[in-house]
Amino acid sequence: MSYIFPIGGGKGGIGKTFIASNIGAIFAKQGKTVVLVDLDLGGSNLHTFFGINGVNTGLHNFLNKSQTNLSRVVESTGIPNLSIISSMNCSIEIPNLFHAQKLKIIKAIQNLPFDIVILDLGAGTNSNILDFFLCSDEGIFVVTPEPTSIENAFRFVQGAYFRRLKQLLKQHDFNAAIKEVNRTSDDIMVKSPDVIEKISEHDPEQGKKLQEKLAEFNFKFILNLLQKQNDEKLGEKIEKVCNRHFYSNFQFLGNIRYDPRVYDSILSKQIYVDKYAYTPTSTDLQNIVKTWQGVNTIESYPDQKAYEKI
Amino acid sequence: MKKFESQTYYEILDIPVQATPFEIRQAYKSALAIYNEDSLATYSFFSELERQEVLKRIEEAFLILTDQDKRADYDRQLIHDGKIAAAAVEKKEKKKAVPLFQTKNVVEKNALFKRIQDRIRETDVKGIAEGMLSKDLISGSDLRNLRESVGIGIEEIYEVTRITASTLKAIEQDEYDKLPTAIYLKNFLKSYAEILQVDSEKIIAGYMKNLSQNTPS
Repeated sequence: MSYIFPIGGGKGGIGKTFIASNIGAIFAKQGKTVVLVDLDLGGSNLHTFFGINGVNTGLHNFLNKSQTNLSRVVESTGIPNLSIISSMNCSIEIPNLFHAQKLKIIKAIQNLPFDIVILDLGAGTNSNILDFFLCSDEGIFVVTPEPTSIENAFRFVQGAYFRRLKQLLKQHDFNAAIKEVNRTSDDIMVKSPDVIEKISEHDPEQGKKLQEKLAEFNFKFILNLLQKQNDEKLGEKIEKVCNRHFYSNFQFLGNIRYDPRVYDSILSKQIYVDKYAYTPTSTDLQNIVKTWQGVNTIESYPDQKAYEKI
Repeated sequence: MKKFESQTYYEILDIPVQATPFEIRQAYKSALAIYNEDSLATYSFFSELERQEVLKRIEEAFLILTDQDKRADYDRQLIHDGKIAAAAVEKKEKKKAVPLFQTKNVVEKNALFKRIQDRIRETDVKGIAEGMLSKDLISGSDLRNLRESVGIGIEEIYEVTRITASTLKAIEQDEYDKLPTAIYLKNFLKSYAEILQVDSEKIIAGYMKNLSQNTPS
């Protein structure tokens, strides 16, 4: 199995694509095979970070069925071990992805023969984005130290959390429990925020099972664009609050300090950790990868030959 | 969402059940830093009403846990409800101050005193001591005789009195040029005499007299 890391965050312009591309580059330098998937459908620009102006193959080939194997539409980024699946050539209708297409993409992503698959998601909290985010148990969301970003990040987390909850309720045998709750409760519909407590009240065993299932899900997050005047402990505080009020696990991966040179790297279409390898911000990115690996020891993809054939 | 209401005050402040008042105060401050209205960390996380509830709970937790009697009542209630184990509440013994210096010497001192007393009982020290005390002048060799007949070494006297071995030797060998000034010397002689359990005043008087006669002044 490859490790899938979706990167989301609710708000636009907080550095999701920047983080995806740079962390991808760091992993690739460690010798791991990495593929970046641009799932910011309708707003794809991941290729521009690598100075790629046009691609021959991409997600569009997979969606118009000219290529049935998603692993064959990858393009090289110019960095060894780092590939990209671009969505730049997809049709203009792509943001309104059909449900079946979405499931097809998720299934194909889960079978990509790479050590690490990084999904660059778009802004917002619509069901496509949330489902891409939930296709792995290791979703990462990005926050910046501004109320606007934090507000959107919380909406994003809540959205993902309750969507996961809904999936669990559907997948497992909780329907009976919900029906029971609905029948005895005065509310006509049980509202999501209280559903766990309601189920726990009616059927403690099922409630416990549900809590355990939710606890298997990990949220990780990164605090981007941290400036001197910001509270350095903000990330830890958010981690504490979320762990306290959700049943899932939250892990703060680290701060990324603000650096005006990030703008230079984007203008010159070069990856920041390549162009400015020895800056505090690059160190922050490296440290985030280290923290990440402290939890997950990433092994090489077992079927290396399958990758070489492609 | 996990509700705040079902959590114990300890869980709310995120502290162990044995937390000290100082830790409680610290935890209260950091909880306020996270949940207050201006906090960025919880911006938009709660509705205004929910936030008020949370802050009220934190306030309650702080007021109860910092009041010794109320806290004891609350702990009993928690134990009764089975939320915490009774053993967890038991106050750990207060840490005792770690002494800066070894106190081992005290024990040795007592042991040494006892040994000296035993020796004095066994041997005929009294006779030697009385013979010495009856003399008008007492020299260092008299003192050494007495010490040796009791059977204790110079090091042992040092252990108890902390008078350095070189000074003790100077006293015993009448090396007048190496002796400390009179006031110290008198004190040293006093300690020395006390260890050997002879009349210290007579020793001092005799020794000082001997000293003044042998040194040109």
